[in-house]
Amino acid sequence: MSEKNRVHHVYDGIEEEDNRLPNWWLAILFGTIVFAFGYWFVYETTQTLPSPLDEYEGERNALAAQQAKQAADSPLSNESIKSLVNDPATVEAGKKVFAGVCVSCHSAQGQGGIGPNLTDKYWLHGAEPMDIINAVENGFPDKGMEAWGARLGPEKVKQVAVFVESIRNTNVPGKAPQGEIIAAE
Amino acid sequence: MHTQRIEYDDAIVRRFIWASITFGVVGMLVGVLVACQLVWPQLNLGIPYTVFSRLRPLHTNAVIFAFVGNMIFAGVYYSIQRLFKARLASGFLSNLHFWGWQAIIAAAAITLPLGITQGKEYAELEWPIDLAVVIIWVVFALNFFWTMAKRNEKQIYVAVWFYIATIVTIAVLYITNNLALPVALTKSYSIYAGVQDALVQWWYGHNAVAFFLTTPVLGIMYYYLPKAAERPVYSYRLSVVHFWALIFIYIWAGPHHLLYTSLPDWAQSLGMLFSLMLWAPSWGGMLNGLLTLRGAWHKLREDPVLKFLVAGVTFYGMATFEGPLLSIKTVNGLAHYTDWIIGHVHSGALGWNGLMAAGMFYWLVPRLYGTKLHSVKGADLHFWLATIGIVLYMVSMWIAGVTQGLMLRALSPDGSLLYTNFVTTLAKLEIPYIVRAMGGAMYLLGFFLMCWNLLKTALSGKAVTTTVEVVVAPKASAPAGEGLVGIILGRPFVFSGLILVFVVAIGFVTSAMVAMALMGAILLLGIFAWVVNTRDKKAGRKSWFGIIEGNALAFTTMTLLAILIGGVAELLPTLLIHQKLPQGEGKYQTPYTALELQGRDIYVREGCYLCHSQQIRPFLAETLRYGEHSKLEEFVYDHPFQWGSRRTGPDLHREGGKQASSWHYKHMLDPREISAGSNMPAYPWLKTNQINVKLAEKKLRAMQKLGVPYTNAQIDYAELDQQTQAEAVLKGILLEIVAGLQEAKDLESLDLEALKALAKTVSEDSWNWDSELVALIAYLQKIGRSEGVKFDAPSARVAATPADASGGGL
Repeated sequence: MSEKNRVHHVYDGIEEEDNRLPNWWLAILFGTIVFAFGYWFVYETTQTLPSPLDEYEGERNALAAQQAKQAADSPLSNESIKSLVNDPATVEAGKKVFAGVCVSCHSAQGQGGIGPNLTDKYWLHGAEPMDIINAVENGFPDKGMEAWGARLGPEKVKQVAVFVESIRNTNVPGKAPQGEIIAAE
Repeated sequence: MHTQRIEYDDAIVRRFIWASITFGVVGMLVGVLVACQLVWPQLNLGIPYTVFSRLRPLHTNAVIFAFVGNMIFAGVYYSIQRLFKARLASGFLSNLHFWGWQAIIAAAAITLPLGITQGKEYAELEWPIDLAVVIIWVVFALNFFWTMAKRNEKQIYVAVWFYIATIVTIAVLYITNNLALPVALTKSYSIYAGVQDALVQWWYGHNAVAFFLTTPVLGIMYYYLPKAAERPVYSYRLSVVHFWALIFIYIWAGPHHLLYTSLPDWAQSLGMLFSLMLWAPSWGGMLNGLLTLRGAWHKLREDPVLKFLVAGVTFYGMATFEGPLLSIKTVNGLAHYTDWIIGHVHSGALGWNGLMAAGMFYWLVPRLYGTKLHSVKGADLHFWLATIGIVLYMVSMWIAGVTQGLMLRALSPDGSLLYTNFVTTLAKLEIPYIVRAMGGAMYLLGFFLMCWNLLKTALSGKAVTTTVEVVVAPKASAPAGEGLVGIILGRPFVFSGLILVFVVAIGFVTSAMVAMALMGAILLLGIFAWVVNTRDKKAGRKSWFGIIEGNALAFTTMTLLAILIGGVAELLPTLLIHQKLPQGEGKYQTPYTALELQGRDIYVREGCYLCHSQQIRPFLAETLRYGEHSKLEEFVYDHPFQWGSRRTGPDLHREGGKQASSWHYKHMLDPREISAGSNMPAYPWLKTNQINVKLAEKKLRAMQKLGVPYTNAQIDYAELDQQTQAEAVLKGILLEIVAGLQEAKDLESLDLEALKALAKTVSEDSWNWDSELVALIAYLQKIGRSEGVKFDAPSARVAATPADASGGGL
């Protein structure tokens, strides 16, 4: 530290000392450089650790397996959905999902807007409960129906299908009928 | 040795100061307005010229180029005359610089609200204005280097190093990023496309922050802080190390704006690692500033100038710690596309640039008018308003950013999105947005206080000119060893060159052994360099840095070399990839039709990219929400790229085919009717505006020149093609609107006119195929529909194909 306060140069009255660089600052400087070499070695040179894309593929496959197992364990059917209409908790949950994402096209009570009226007896893409599941999950992109399966996940798809089933034939005045008449059961 | 009497040109300094203050007010006023528009979207009053997406570029350009730009020129012109002991070389060039720059600002203020834009952030200005910027920048450079050549002080002070780095680098960045092919006086297409355009843009965007908002202001700090504190600068050697490290490393860090995007992973890693390595060099500047105050801390109590400068440097330290933090991939995964980034840039812009500007103005104005500051109390009040304003701004943006980031990635245990609807996240942002607007307004209030204070100060004195006696430097020939050979063979140059060769080699090797050998070699070289340097110092050998600091040309050349290496190393390989997958894999982008291209130009004009990204990252929450993650070969015809940087609204890269066209139609006219809680402005003018059908041919021809494979027939029939496609799109919209009308059974067989007549019974709208809205919808329905990317939603239950049960998108 013998050089402390030695004036190196003077510019327009500004004196310049030449103090030593603080050790903690040097530690940050060299620490980040060493880390950079190490990171590059592990992730780029040898690729020992998984890249972000590899990590994503792993998570995706895990989720796919989980959902496939779930589907196999509790398969859905027209009958199971119809019977759930009598379960107020499921209908209520489905109503919440409907209010969150479906309303913008089918309106608050399902009476239709951009999309068709869901409360009449006319159906465009099949009228069975499993048809509703299919419509929600996969949509009909060329007809403007979004596919919601990925975003909602199996549980919410089921709930919202139960809700739609519950408002069947409530005949809320709204968009005029579209599609085939399916006789009320 | 003789002396010479010189009179400094301070009139030009005064002019730049008042220009900076004026545009500071404008830029910040627009800032507060757009901040409020995010809470109350109706605040644009339904006028196209005041819509958020057109005003935000006006805000950023005004603050960066008009407010900070003019402040830099004032600070540079005042300080270099004193540091060089020479009057500015040319009054003509100074005035041309001043008026040219103000004319550019005026042109920007007119064209940006008109929607004349290149669609790249902070590089929005169209090509004629870009040309003017380059010319005026050259004028500035000429004036600067000419003055430097006439200097009466051989050695160049650290402040000037930073000015040199600014002038050289901004020229390189600005020209490279703005290369574009003009289609009309007000329209051009970037010569780069997709991932290449993205990398060039963020190499520019990041380094505009580095070399326009940081290095010149560091130079200003090195002059005005020791002046105001009347204390010596802490450490010369720290300034050498942090200057060279800063400018060399900064230029590599651009890809941290593109983490997890379609940019190749190696470039992303470089961006992250160089950003981390920037931490110490940045803090070197802060240290040299703060430690200059050793023994003078008590002055902070009385002197408002020091308060501003010290707080500015402290915010610089905060922002340059936050920057590397945000560049860590996993942190960026959360923060990118959120308000955290907005908060980060404002801690830099308001905290560092704004406070440094205020400190400099409070120091300069009394001196330039030969008086003392009108009100120290006023300046103190300004300081506290500004500081509290910044804190409100930053904290609210942290909260907003982290909240939205976490909500958008939150998954239920069954793997579905916890917050399915994007607008539910917006509801949480409302209070932080109001607090942010208040913080910004407080900052602006303080700024008004400064305007009043400085105006009063100026009026109480009168413009003074400073005249000094300087010793004229003898024009001695360069001593032996200081010539070109001495510089090129200088040890720091040779050693860093060698080390760099090994470092670049590591980038290419894939063998662990070779990489380790190279790292060993670098370590040995480093130790050897250190030993040699210590011996040289003991022997009293003149330092190489001392030599180039006395040689303006050598210093400038070294600076240019230092900033070119990183740029070339990252840009060149990326520009050389043709962005194509091996044949047969598919997944290519298909070129836009004439109508889709017109629609895309409207998307660019309205600034949709300022709130919507077109880049889905490989995260479960994103692919579930938006669809298959984006691939680099899907953007090959995107001149310019539109990946965006902030998601105030959802990503649009898989928007094509997702929604009904009538949904888009209604949504553009009244977003809240379709999506309650949305803060998107309405764009009603798109319905009545007509596309310029004739221009399409020229546009396609320009695209063809840029390498988009349009056939000549496509170009020749562009006009007809547009009408055919637009009528089909319109028919689709009308079909959806009249669907379900009782009296209309066989709708599909009706022609367009019959459909229009039918639609009249449900809606008052007029329906024109050449409406801009139709073209925009045609584009929206095309985005991301690359060949080979699946759009059908996979389903575990119905399709029961586990392999693509979650990732296939929508």
